[in-house]
Amino acid sequence: MTDTTFDADGITLEKVREYVWEIPQEGNMRTPARVLASEALLEEIKEDKTLEQIKNTTHLPGITNHAICMPDGHQGYGFPVGGVGALDAENGCISPGAVGYDINCGVRMMRTNLTYDELQGREEELVDSLFANVPSGLGGGGIVEAGVDTVDEILERGVDWALENGHAVEEDLLHCEDEGVRAEADASKISQKAKDRGKNQIGSLGSGNHFLEVQRVTDVFDDAVGDAYGLEEDRIVVLIHCGSRGLGHQTCNDYLRKIEQQHQGLLNQLPDKELAAAPAGSQLAADYYKAMNAAINFAWVNRQLIMHRTRQVFERVFDRSWEEMEMELLYDVAHNIAKKETHAVGVGPEGRPVRDGDAVEREERELYVHRKGATRAFPAGHPEVPKAYRDVGQPVIIPGSMGAGSYVLRGGENSMDLTFGSTAHGAGRLMSRTQAKNEYWGGDVQDELEQQEQIYVKAQSGATVAEEAPGVYKDVDEVVRVSDALGIGDKVARTFPVCNIKG
Amino acid sequence: MAFELRDHTADVAVAATGGTLEEVFAAVADGLAAASTDEVPEGTGERFQVSVTAESREALLFDYLDELIYRRDVRAALPVDNRVESIERGGDEDEDGNREARKEDGHRHGDGEHDSWTLEATTRGVPLSEIDAREVKAVTYSEMRLERTDDGWEAYVVFDV
Repeated sequence: MTDTTFDADGITLEKVREYVWEIPQEGNMRTPARVLASEALLEEIKEDKTLEQIKNTTHLPGITNHAICMPDGHQGYGFPVGGVGALDAENGCISPGAVGYDINCGVRMMRTNLTYDELQGREEELVDSLFANVPSGLGGGGIVEAGVDTVDEILERGVDWALENGHAVEEDLLHCEDEGVRAEADASKISQKAKDRGKNQIGSLGSGNHFLEVQRVTDVFDDAVGDAYGLEEDRIVVLIHCGSRGLGHQTCNDYLRKIEQQHQGLLNQLPDKELAAAPAGSQLAADYYKAMNAAINFAWVNRQLIMHRTRQVFERVFDRSWEEMEMELLYDVAHNIAKKETHAVGVGPEGRPVRDGDAVEREERELYVHRKGATRAFPAGHPEVPKAYRDVGQPVIIPGSMGAGSYVLRGGENSMDLTFGSTAHGAGRLMSRTQAKNEYWGGDVQDELEQQEQIYVKAQSGATVAEEAPGVYKDVDEVVRVSDALGIGDKVARTFPVCNIKG
Repeated sequence: MAFELRDHTADVAVAATGGTLEEVFAAVADGLAAASTDEVPEGTGERFQVSVTAESREALLFDYLDELIYRRDVRAALPVDNRVESIERGGDEDEDGNREARKEDGHRHGDGEHDSWTLEATTRGVPLSEIDAREVKAVTYSEMRLERTDDGWEAYVVFDV
């Protein structure tokens, strides 16, 4: 390793500048790949197949500028977790594999006016009540048990359906990306199988790394933005992390199989079958986009129902109305998503996107921006940032492990140039689930968190607690430090867990 | 027939072997159950039939595992003790246009354009309410291998957790 290169066991990264590394184009790569990380994070990233996977992503037709791995990147399937790939919406493709199984897996944060003092002493009551009232785990049912008609309505109307049915208030929509509804959604593009799986899971956390966490704000780094977000030190907030459940998983699988049957030619060009993509302009690309948008709506409703149920739990525990506790949605961000967005990209003499050095001019292009385990992070002034936050930038919520802090960032001013308006999504895993279960025992992890950190954890499965032990994650502080230094997501506030429930 | 769970940073992988294609499929399915729960209780849950058709051997394995995950969600029961009764290859037409289902017998067949593979299996659905189970979200094609060996077959499948 020299000052300008990093040798990752066979893959050499060239340093572009501080925290920006490039894997040069070779073989069938259509562009170079970039990794945004410190050397400390690179040491972890090189340990699994993350770099190979981000290289593979550059084989997708229409990939623009470069495929980018965020600071929290780790190995996934096909596309790495923490991957951003912008694929030309005219000449490129859309990849259900790159979006992933859990379509619109994401997080939302709800603020309150409660202080940590008011909550202390009632942690156990609160964690028990949340655990009893918010469905989690496998087969735990949902807050709403619905017929297929209701599922169709949710798929097409998103949080608007929740508003009409008493599970939301108007302000919830204003504080959600796209106001909680993707207009280009079509329930008829979602299979009956997917709807059958989804109808018993509306309003449920699931398991794995999904959770609901009550947290206290420990630091506000930027007072002006903190103020705009309604965050004050010592206040209680609630973070909810989950996705589109079986409905989204099934939808991804359904389209992967259709691509395999209808677009074998494109599939054969790709080094990993899991990157399966439908060519832009094809019927299947159009169908998948509508299906994915419908699944996005489903996931938003899922998180909305859980948030609204949480308000009711707080009402019972603290014996006052949720309005009085000012339990308002701060923001909701998606982690696994492809969105048609317009970005300014350099184009060459033939009018096709090229790398910055070769560009003769810049042009607005429509791109399917795939973010898999990455968060949109649009800066202040961007028209797609909700009005409430347009002057300061879009809130970005970065959950840490259940023993570490989480962060609230705001979209940084360099994000549009560096990452198609994206940043990290979490701490990123370091250790496999099987290894975690050998190293940790759920009960010990729970006891330690409670005794040493006053964090109350309740889970359906002890194994899940072991698999999600704080030690299996990367250092979220380092991930956020790099995001902040690059100016793609700026630090606003930090929170620390108080109660955590999971599947 | 045997399986083991392998390390994968975010997900879980199952490596399985079997003397026949039926056995290796069942072993991967049992691996899926093991990835979902640490202890499979005896003597509870009803057996039910699973039938799957796909256009290739790998697609059949993918669809079989996908079907088990789907059934788990809609029946609220974890499929365990998987038995694959038969895997048959049909859909190839001979010169007279007759369709004939053939047992996968280890001989290599030509890759017909309209291949069709059919699997018949049974599984025992243990009610989720009776066990401590985690959710496996989906089967993936990532790094999937299904290969013949000197002793039979081996498979490697990554599941999204």
